[in-house]
Amino acid sequence: MLQNFIVVEKQNIIEEIKKTKSEGYRFAAMTCDHVGDELELTYHFDLNYEMKNIRVVVNMNESIESISSIYGPAFLIENEFQDLYGVVFNGLIIDYKGNLYLSKDAPKAPMLKGEK
Amino acid sequence: MARTTIPFGPQHPVLPEPIQLKLVLDDDIVVEAIPSIGYVHRGLEKLAEIKDLHQTVYIVERVCGICSFMHSMAYVRGIEELMGMQIPDRAEYLRVIWAEIGRIQSHLLWLGLIADAFGFESLFMETWKDREKILDLMEMTTGNRVIISANKIGGTTKDMTEEHFTSILNTMNFIEDKLKGVDKVFLNDYTVKKRLVGVGVLTKSDAEDLCCVGPTARASGIKYDLRKTGYSAYKYLDFEPLVDSQGDCYARTVVRVNEIHQSIDLIRQAISKIPKGDIAVPFKGVVTGDVISRLEQPRGEVIYYIKANGTKNLSRLKIRTPTFANIPSILKMAPGSQLADIPILILTVDPCISCTER
Repeated sequence: MLQNFIVVEKQNIIEEIKKTKSEGYRFAAMTCDHVGDELELTYHFDLNYEMKNIRVVVNMNESIESISSIYGPAFLIENEFQDLYGVVFNGLIIDYKGNLYLSKDAPKAPMLKGEK
Repeated sequence: MARTTIPFGPQHPVLPEPIQLKLVLDDDIVVEAIPSIGYVHRGLEKLAEIKDLHQTVYIVERVCGICSFMHSMAYVRGIEELMGMQIPDRAEYLRVIWAEIGRIQSHLLWLGLIADAFGFESLFMETWKDREKILDLMEMTTGNRVIISANKIGGTTKDMTEEHFTSILNTMNFIEDKLKGVDKVFLNDYTVKKRLVGVGVLTKSDAEDLCCVGPTARASGIKYDLRKTGYSAYKYLDFEPLVDSQGDCYARTVVRVNEIHQSIDLIRQAISKIPKGDIAVPFKGVVTGDVISRLEQPRGEVIYYIKANGTKNLSRLKIRTPTFANIPSILKMAPGSQLADIPILILTVDPCISCTER
């Protein structure tokens, strides 16, 4: 039901995000969801009130390139998902290393399904 | 002189909620600011996966006390879209009236906070005194002054009577009259302008790069207001996004002052056009699929990503609040500013940490 929705391979995400930026889209939000043994990362963009949604699927133990060097404000939400889902983003412009929300002694990745 | 790093917050007299900026200073000029949040994170998105679809209305109302109504409005609109529900026009108008009442109380609250921050106590008290009249309207129409619980999936939980409309219009007249005096001070007073003009400038280009939303973006010349998409009853109302081009603290104040007048106008239009009829349709069936629901809160665009799998619970609820989108702008505005201007600069983004940390 998401409008203007595409799924891309992990290795193509940076290229797709660069293309999205060159088309004039604003980075609006990002969603992470835990599905089985995978994490679905969905990037949401806006241009003139129309949304574009790009999804990439990563395995639980995989890292992914940060888009913060393309869309600077994405650093905050990527850090959030590092904390709450344990996904590692390479090349974050500001990296809180899992401590944006969580203290050092807090449970790891509390948003994963099955975690209380 | 050696550079110094000092913490600003998380507890600070101008901050109603905890956020910290690590400020790197060269003398009293800020050269870098790094935000630190996470002091009040509540895990409400996780809670929404445990509670059922209807209980989640009450959860999202508690994301924030200031824009509580619009959080539930974004959520129920998303569920209604997933289910293909057409809610009654009267409910759409009622939602707009409560949303705009909420915007007025939020902006009046902010005006009081900024007045307090630059030490203008009588202005702070005047603004918050008037805000009480708006909270009275919320109490009169729903029984509650802050979290009004007026939304449900399929419409609204409460209706308004003709007497309510009369009282609301009388209060709008009262607020408009009171604002004539308050506006003058906020927009023309010498000392106020000394604290706001030219401080914390965010150019249009910077605001675009930083993906800013709401009054923060509009004060930098970005004509973006989701109400123009015509959701709910906004499609029946006549208005244009209010913008300024200076991008400084003063411009952000001007935009919010003008938006109060705009909200008063929208409420008058809505009351003049609201049709009679039902206020809700029954909720039937199961919800599947995912959807984005967006609307314009007082601080800007809020985004709800809702994913349902046919059970009574959501499989994912993601909330991107406007303050979360606007925090990066502080990192751009702070460098080059005097340390004494940082409290004002942060406040003009109207940060809501309760929203940000959900």
